[in-house]
Amino acid sequence: MNKTLKLGLAAALAVSVLANCTKKEAVAPAGGEPSTTAAATNSTKNAELKIGISQEFENLNPLIMSMSASSYMYRMVGRTLVSLDADGKWFTQLAKSIPSLDNGSAKIVEVGGKKKIIATWDLLDNAKWNDGTPITCADFAFALKVAAAPTVSVGEKETFTQVEKIEADAANPKKCTFTYEKAKWDFYALAQFYPLPKHLEEPVFNKYGKEKEGYEKNSNYTKNPTMKGLYNGPYAITEVKLGDHVTFEPNTDFYGPQPKIQKIIVKLIPNTGTMEANLRSGTIDMIGTLGLSLDEALAFDKKVKAENLPYEVTFTPSITYEHIDLNLDNPILKDLKVRKALITGLNREDLVKALFEGKQEAAIHNLSPKDPWFTRDPKEVTLYPYSKREAGKLLDEAGWKMGSDGYRMKDGKKLSLVFMTTAGNKTRELVQVYLQDQYKQLGIEIVTKNEPARVFFGETTRKRKYGAMAMFAWVSSPENSPRSTFHSSSIPNEKNGWSGQNFMNWSNKDNDKLMEELDVEFDAKKRLDLIHKITKHYTDDVPVLPLYYRSDVSVVPKNLKNYRPTGHQFAETNDVEKWDLGGSTLN
Amino acid sequence: MTTYILRRLIQTLVVIAILSYVCFYLMTLMPGDPVDMMISSNPKITAADVVRLRELYGLDQPSYVRYGHWMGDILKGELGYSRTYRVPVQDLLGPRLVSTFILSMVALGFSILISVPLGVFSALRPGSKVDYVINFFSFAGISIPSFWLGIVCIIFFAVWIPLFPAGGTQTVGGPDLGFFANLLDRSKYLILPVLSLSLQQIGRFVRFTRSAMLESLRNDFIRTAKAKGLPRQIIIWRHAFRNALIPLITILALSISSIFSGAIITETVFAYQGVGKLTYDSIIGNDFNVAMVSFIISVAMVLVMNLVADLLYGVADPRISYS
Repeated sequence: MNKTLKLGLAAALAVSVLANCTKKEAVAPAGGEPSTTAAATNSTKNAELKIGISQEFENLNPLIMSMSASSYMYRMVGRTLVSLDADGKWFTQLAKSIPSLDNGSAKIVEVGGKKKIIATWDLLDNAKWNDGTPITCADFAFALKVAAAPTVSVGEKETFTQVEKIEADAANPKKCTFTYEKAKWDFYALAQFYPLPKHLEEPVFNKYGKEKEGYEKNSNYTKNPTMKGLYNGPYAITEVKLGDHVTFEPNTDFYGPQPKIQKIIVKLIPNTGTMEANLRSGTIDMIGTLGLSLDEALAFDKKVKAENLPYEVTFTPSITYEHIDLNLDNPILKDLKVRKALITGLNREDLVKALFEGKQEAAIHNLSPKDPWFTRDPKEVTLYPYSKREAGKLLDEAGWKMGSDGYRMKDGKKLSLVFMTTAGNKTRELVQVYLQDQYKQLGIEIVTKNEPARVFFGETTRKRKYGAMAMFAWVSSPENSPRSTFHSSSIPNEKNGWSGQNFMNWSNKDNDKLMEELDVEFDAKKRLDLIHKITKHYTDDVPVLPLYYRSDVSVVPKNLKNYRPTGHQFAETNDVEKWDLGGSTLN
Repeated sequence: MTTYILRRLIQTLVVIAILSYVCFYLMTLMPGDPVDMMISSNPKITAADVVRLRELYGLDQPSYVRYGHWMGDILKGELGYSRTYRVPVQDLLGPRLVSTFILSMVALGFSILISVPLGVFSALRPGSKVDYVINFFSFAGISIPSFWLGIVCIIFFAVWIPLFPAGGTQTVGGPDLGFFANLLDRSKYLILPVLSLSLQQIGRFVRFTRSAMLESLRNDFIRTAKAKGLPRQIIIWRHAFRNALIPLITILALSISSIFSGAIITETVFAYQGVGKLTYDSIIGNDFNVAMVSFIISVAMVLVMNLVADLLYGVADPRISYS
């Protein structure tokens, strides 16, 4: 034990103390003084608001963009005919009113034995692009022309091509007649049918539209995204740095009330672990719904309360449906009794309490309580309250008898199921462990096997290589037909190039018929009846184990008024012009 | 010498061409393509959409045909179009390459400035207290995970003592401030990432310098130089250090060759707009054009830096000749 050793030990002790201090502070920073000071420095009245998000964004051409973060930002600068509010109700943006069959502004016509809809959309007289050019029917017709072009890579083409043609009234370029290809009840739900500024984009399309992806590569949204005239929302983009931030400033040509906040910066912080530090240091003022995960928000909420920080953590129930798809190719899961045992033996109420402190609601089927179609009426849907005894009985009836090792056996085979999800998702991995324990008590062995998202979604789920159970979520909007996930024509197979999202291989002919009827049923009451019948089939056949409806989380300054997360795909930025920092500092 | 350089450059081009095809082919083997990524985030995409998009993106073609198209574009000077960000690759990659280059080179320069004198100093006093202390901190630097160090730096210097920004590349509107103000602003954003990136490098370089110097100091010519009564500084720097340079050049060349890919974690933690994370995301997101260009840059850097290292060996040791 010489001096050198002592010196080494002293240095090790110093490093250990330093590390401990750091750890302690990282978990529970003292006082909250630095954070409030930092937060206060950058906000006098409504001067500026910096929003942190953790998801990447792309070029903001409304026809081409496909990322959630792009859509989140585009709603600040781009408006269309209608949208969905935080209460799940349709409201007008660029249109004066929503056409309907009742008031005669829409009618069903028959052309060549095919039913179509003709609807009149009247645009707001003061609706303009941000260079002062009026928005007319020609801008919508041009968007349709671009979207329909085979050289342009629009993701979901039907959003646009459901409209066959758009014509303007000879005397009024703002009175548009839309002819729809099919007579569908939700013809007015055009929240993603964005107009394009024809006066700026048509020359580009004429020049490059024939080349493969020529238009999108040369569009002004790509080449000059801050150009005046590209936007029509309450804000206009004044700076774009892909992978870093986008700056928004008020659009003086906006048709509605001028926004109160004079500058909004949306900043990308890819590591959610440092999001909180960025908030506390004043690099950002709030975290949008595309920022924190639920567990991070729960932890931060505790700190906000304990340290009286000037933020509010909001948990908004959403329609995002977390569930487990059951692979009906699996011989064990072909047996309905086994599927019913799995759902009955799953204590979802306890799961959401234990893992999410009750901030996310247990799911009973694919429709969330935010959806007007939701029902928990036992006459309409089959409910499966937790019962270990009942689940065991069902497994006994299916021939799976409890063995001496605590696992059930049938014909010499153990009741063992492979359970897969996306690797690295902490919440999902916790749910896996929870379910593993619950099913162990029933005598079912759960073997977890996780994969990176690109492999899981790119190969495993769509080719049904997931063994028995695949956990993931569907993001949707209220009153959305479940056709793409339930219809037998949506079962991915080699013939259809493995497209379609019925990953369970669930085929129910009665249900297929009901979904086809749903699309063309104009009577809201009858539609509700149809969707309840569909949901009844879904809950009877148990092709999926519903887990919970996710909550959207955000962290906002306490003095931010009129901020309403929506819980669906049309983000809270849809009414960004109403946001108000209240004329005081963030303190 | 010129013939040697030319021969090596031709070899480099051939290796890049072969490896680029191997890499392209391997990427096509990975499950999931850009269309699959779109499907997973949007259940409304129809089978017709899938067929149309695959055809439009050329994903329905065999890998060698797609590679041929890609190579043809590269030879015409077109780097392609990013399917993830929907912008031309050069617009996306250019500013990020510059940012990463600045970050990595500043960190490397800072590391060399600190580590070489420390390594030499430590080698001159092996077994001393100072040697132990330097070794201890070198090992600590090597052992501390960079993501942890990054977060600690943010908590210390951005939250507790708000001296530096917690993340980003520059203040919004920074370029409008004027050249010097902008330079100062960008430097402010560089300090924490450079600190986080350098500590590991310093530890590694100190260890290499120390061991190379120790090895060099044991040589007979050092004993001869001492016997001749040459001044100590001449012996250390002109004779011992020059001989210790060979392994140092190797490690430096390797470090420089990975400057565009070696800062992924630091860039992610500090939300620094660099090329490392972009490359990673492009591989994960199957953004072929971005991934391939990044790959070519990476391979070219390794090959060119190895060539530079070979040439520098000749400068450091006159016994090595390429004639």
